[in-house]
Amino acid sequence: MSTMSEPGRGSVPRPSGGIPHQDKTSDHAPLQAGEEIRVWDPVVRIFHWALVVAFAAAWGLGKFGPDEMTLHFYAGYTVAALVVIRIVWGFVGSANARFVNFVKGPRKILHYASHFASREPSNCPGHNPLGALFIVGVLIVLAMQIGTGLLADPEDYINAGPLAKYVSIETARQALSWHEPLSTLLLIMVGVHIASIVFYKLYKHEDLITPMFTGRKKGL
Amino acid sequence: MRRLLLSLAVLAAPSLALAQSPQDVAEARIGYFRLLGLEMHDLAAMAKGEKDYDAEAAKTHAANLEALTHYSMAALLAPGTSNADLPGKTRALPAIWENMEGVQEKAEAYVAAVQNLNSVAGEGLDQLRPAVGKLGGTCKSCHDDFRAKDF
Repeated sequence: MSTMSEPGRGSVPRPSGGIPHQDKTSDHAPLQAGEEIRVWDPVVRIFHWALVVAFAAAWGLGKFGPDEMTLHFYAGYTVAALVVIRIVWGFVGSANARFVNFVKGPRKILHYASHFASREPSNCPGHNPLGALFIVGVLIVLAMQIGTGLLADPEDYINAGPLAKYVSIETARQALSWHEPLSTLLLIMVGVHIASIVFYKLYKHEDLITPMFTGRKKGL
Repeated sequence: MRRLLLSLAVLAAPSLALAQSPQDVAEARIGYFRLLGLEMHDLAAMAKGEKDYDAEAAKTHAANLEALTHYSMAALLAPGTSNADLPGKTRALPAIWENMEGVQEKAEAYVAAVQNLNSVAGEGLDQLRPAVGKLGGTCKSCHDDFRAKDF
């Protein structure tokens, strides 16, 4: 994860004047009107929608599911596998999927945030600097949720996390006590994510949903 | 004289401890649930395949759990012994004393699961496994509402 704290290193040089380019990444100038690029590769898109399904299943089963939580465990393992794949893809994946290309420092984040309220599309050719912050945040909280779930021991002898037996009962209880508040935090993050997408669509007239299906984004 | 005072002090200390403090109640309560855990531990290990199924051992554990259902919880649930009264000493939530009916409901589900376990414990692993799962489920269901996640 050290790459995330060193934004800008190894980034692609900025082309002069936003020349239309198929391999344009988050690091490049905004999309020109009518310019179309491949913004999200298939791994990113499948990851996103599989995470929607697996997270919803894990959350719902955890909160409302049967007392024998086998299905919650399977949903959690699926989320874990997806998060691992996404993190690996963040180092070896396509240009727009790599952390090094979209994680930005405070200066760029603040600069982007200062234009956030303007009623125009961002035309970002990938994750915008503020969205990048969210991606890193949600991956970290998901990793914490996976970790606490694996270590948690509710002392009912049927729902202990598979790694609980390798730690002290005090640690396993602490993990359990974190697991539920983290699930609430994740729900809030999902809410913020959906609200942002709606905000971009209605206020900034920028459709971020279609590209997550088609992988293509067009400048407005 | 000094010797007399000292011996009085030695005598007084244990007699003070004889009084039933809220902490004593909480410790006894934790002890009761430890007994349940002790029996449940090996049953769960068998159900998960971590331990070889042993019909006699399974029947003994089930019978011990059944015997413990006849223990009256009244003294263990003395008021003034929640985790609000004794922070760090117990995980029993005040909700127990605010909703005794709910506790009773959970306890009945637990007793039914223990009885079901007793009827199948010696019949083989395939019968034991779902009965242990069901029993553990009644543990969880009560923990969710009436036990704090951590001290």
